[in-house]
Amino acid sequence: MTAHALELRNLRKSFGKTEIIRGVELAIEKGRIHAVIGPNGAGKSTLYNLITGLHPVTSGRILLKGADITDKPPYEIARRGLSRSFQVTNIFPRMSVLENVRCAMLWDLGYRYSFWHFVGRRRDLAERSEAIMEQTGLGSRRNVPAGLLSYSDQRALEIAITLASGADVILLDEPTAGMSRSETEQAVALIRKISQDRTLVIVEHDMGVVFDLAETISVLVYGQIVASGPPAEIRANTAVREAYLGPEAA
Amino acid sequence: MAGLARRSGIWLAAVAVVLVLPWIFSSGFAITTLNQMGVLIIFSLAYNMLLGQGGMLSFGHAVYFGLAGYSVAHVLNGIGAGTLPYVPVSLLPLVGGLVGLLFGIPIGFVSTRRAGTVFAMISLGFAEMMTALTLILIVFFNGEEGVQTDRWAGPEPFGITYGPDIQVYYLIAAWCLLATLAMYALTHTPFGRMSNAVRDNPERLQFVGYSTHRVRWLAFALSSFFAGMAGALHALNVEHVGFETVGVGQSGLVLFMVWIGGARAFIGPIFGAVVIAFLNSNLSGITEAWLLYLGILFMVTVMFAQGGLSGLILMHESIWKTDVRLFRPMVRPYALGIGATIVACLGAIGLIELIYFMSTRSTRDTGTSLYSVPVDAASLLPWLVCAGVAALGAEACRRAYRPMAASYADAIETVKAGAAR
Repeated sequence: MTAHALELRNLRKSFGKTEIIRGVELAIEKGRIHAVIGPNGAGKSTLYNLITGLHPVTSGRILLKGADITDKPPYEIARRGLSRSFQVTNIFPRMSVLENVRCAMLWDLGYRYSFWHFVGRRRDLAERSEAIMEQTGLGSRRNVPAGLLSYSDQRALEIAITLASGADVILLDEPTAGMSRSETEQAVALIRKISQDRTLVIVEHDMGVVFDLAETISVLVYGQIVASGPPAEIRANTAVREAYLGPEAA
Repeated sequence: MAGLARRSGIWLAAVAVVLVLPWIFSSGFAITTLNQMGVLIIFSLAYNMLLGQGGMLSFGHAVYFGLAGYSVAHVLNGIGAGTLPYVPVSLLPLVGGLVGLLFGIPIGFVSTRRAGTVFAMISLGFAEMMTALTLILIVFFNGEEGVQTDRWAGPEPFGITYGPDIQVYYLIAAWCLLATLAMYALTHTPFGRMSNAVRDNPERLQFVGYSTHRVRWLAFALSSFFAGMAGALHALNVEHVGFETVGVGQSGLVLFMVWIGGARAFIGPIFGAVVIAFLNSNLSGITEAWLLYLGILFMVTVMFAQGGLSGLILMHESIWKTDVRLFRPMVRPYALGIGATIVACLGAIGLIELIYFMSTRSTRDTGTSLYSVPVDAASLLPWLVCAGVAALGAEACRRAYRPMAASYADAIETVKAGAAR
């Protein structure tokens, strides 16, 4: 049996006495687009923070491509090929778009903490950053300080940084939050494009986007996965309807 | 290729300036000032690796400057006494750098685990500790007297004795150019870029595979190396290293220089070091209140010009790059604004000097001179004139600043509109 891209085993997290994640079991297959949905406060962001090492877990295990990454520091996890975007734009505001993208690929291309290479003279850096900026439509903005970009360009940069690290497992946190209809369409097209040789996990509130993109959907309610399956199955599931629309509707 | 030629052009120009300067300013006093500038340029560029590029506010960077200074003084004395093997005096700045590195590595490891306030407090703690040690570890620091040394030690390769100050000038100039070039090059390496990234957003940095602690630690260690180099040159320059070189005072001075010059641009600290060294050697002879003026200058830049002096110039960069003619409508409002500021300063400085004179005079004589004009500080007239000039200047500033800002905003609007097209 080949290992899953990402596997959560009986994952739990408490903040003080409140248990936010209550025994999550989740297996994400390689090369899939897997959406995690759930009402506000279900624990979706906490789940991401546990997977990426931002918070220590209370109990349970997290496996990335079969290897245990539970409670490793975020940079260790990133080096093993897991990358995430943030719901609230999290970029390097005083650096240019090109610098932002380039910073994200330095480790993966083996530059580590080098102080004897010039970033402007390396062909591998130039090629990959060109490709990433092209893919995310940021080419014409390359020299603009990231803090001055428009909101939708900053969202695109958020994804560009996430991609640039060369990770094959990518966690997107509400990639279309706050976008207009047409911007959302562009973002969906971009996500579909980048999903081709990668595993994608998406947390998203826009159900149109979720049912459009996802091959598998898991529903998180009060820190537990109540249902997992292909979109059609989830759409028909009573537990899901209950969680979203209240018991009367079900 | 054109970019490369232009950049090396700047460096060649710098070399030319450095070679020509002592011919223009050839007095002993001028050479001393220039030497001080060179030392402080290296020190403030090193400090800016932390503050401007890595986002770390240190109150104790003189520790590496001073320890290297003491060490080099001891090495020189050892060479002179024949107890230490000969090291060419020209290479002692490297020894100083290594001493800085030696202390920067372990202290950096401890203090860069956290950034922000914690980092600042730890750096302050180390500076205080060193000051205390100067009075305890007498063997090394020799208490309040400090360590005296003689740079004229050992053989004299090519007749270089470092006896005359001019030879020290070329030594400092050469190391200053080398160090500046090296620190500039560092900003273009993966380490340099990640250093900027840790300043901008330490959280995100971890998610692209980097340890914030490692990046900060490396920046700290390299910065200590260059601070040590500056300390070594300081020891060679003045042939004495005192307890004040490792303490909070010297650490504060470098923070002042970098902030006043501007921490955001690479050239900022150079600017700051030149201005402060110039004021230090010239103003301190003219007025006893010079530290007060330095403090006021610092406060004004903190409040109104966060990019420092270099920031004030660089904020016009996009204008001259677009079209120099855009400056034409700005000339008049700028001249008025700057003129008004000068008038206000002249008045205020006059008042400060009068107050200073009256409160610190040791004789009953109340005659002094203000701007080379003999005045009687006990009479009302000089006070009234100064107060009047200050008030006039302040009112002129109030009226002149708004049109000045408006003319800048207009020019920037034009630049932006041009860029959008």
